Amino acid sequence: MHERSLIRSLLRQVEQIVAVEGGGKVTEIRVQVGDLSGVEPLLFQTAFDDMVPSVFSSDCRLALEIVPVTAVCSECEHQFEIVDFQFRCPECQTKSVQVIQGDEVTLISVSINSNNSIEGVAS
Amino acid sequence: MNQRTIVVQRDVQADQKADAATERERLGRRGTLVVNLLSSPGAGKTTLLEATARHFAGRRSMAVLVGDLETDRDAKRLSPLVPVAQLTTGGACHLELSLVQRGLKALGDPEVDFLFIENVGNLVCPASHDLAEHLRVVLISTTEGDDKPGKYPKMFRTSQAMVITKLDLLPHVPFSVKAVTEDAHRIQPHLKVLANCALDGSGIASWCDFLEEQHQQQLATYHEPAGNR
Repeated sequence: MHERSLIRSLLRQVEQIVAVEGGGKVTEIRVQVGDLSGVEPLLFQTAFDDMVPSVFSSDCRLALEIVPVTAVCSECEHQFEIVDFQFRCPECQTKSVQVIQGDEVTLISVSINSNNSIEGVAS
Repeated sequence: MNQRTIVVQRDVQADQKADAATERERLGRRGTLVVNLLSSPGAGKTTLLEATARHFAGRRSMAVLVGDLETDRDAKRLSPLVPVAQLTTGGACHLELSLVQRGLKALGDPEVDFLFIENVGNLVCPASHDLAEHLRVVLISTTEGDDKPGKYPKMFRTSQAMVITKLDLLPHVPFSVKAVTEDAHRIQPHLKVLANCALDGSGIASWCDFLEEQHQQQLATYHEPAGNR
């Protein structure tokens, strides 16, 4: 259940961002999870639901996007989607391919509700 | 109320990866090759380490950090041979860098040629955590079945070597070295494949030669003058 450890890192990053932004209520955290990231989306969501209330409000939403594994061929530069974990270029059949997307867990954006500007006007 | 969205685009593990890179560099500079050993429970990580320690005895220095959910049984087996520290995860399915650093501290941060991390027996979660290793090795025993690479692709994709263990049992089990190698190479074409039997010692010399070669190759960059890097 390493998804809990990833959620811990995620919430820590979001906390830092909120602090830099001057506070506010986090309403949505958008995350991309690659097919080769080793993350099970359902367990990731469950861990998030379990842990988010201790840091942010429980109505903070996790928007999860699944990213297919994409690679580029080192020989012919053909870019293609890896299907069924076949790490071979479909054009020139070479096995020298570089994964360019799909092996990471990425924090895409954080949506914050704040009344900073109203306070600014009031003062 | 002011609603806004801050675009971040940052790896969730970016901080941990940066810390691991710093630790890898620190250990590499002083000549320690860090080897992360991963496998299912019972694949033979401890037995391979015992055989490695016996082979290197008096020639190469090594220390072992042993990860387990509970007990220090593996650490007790290894302690007569090499400096060893137990990392008890208390239920967690993988090791993290902070535990590795705690283990190193417990050992007095020894200056050894090889630091082995015996990860928690699990082919899933440990694949997602950088422990500052220079070399990631996945073990697969002949008793497990030759279909594992395709079932656990991330583990095999992120490893640089695969060691087939319990080779002596090959005549008794439905396991094909060719099939497992093909399956693994489909996922990681550059994976180095080794095979051995730690109990009778066959293949241990080749495994240790591979480690020596990796030590020389991977740590060479740290010995170059700064201008050449």
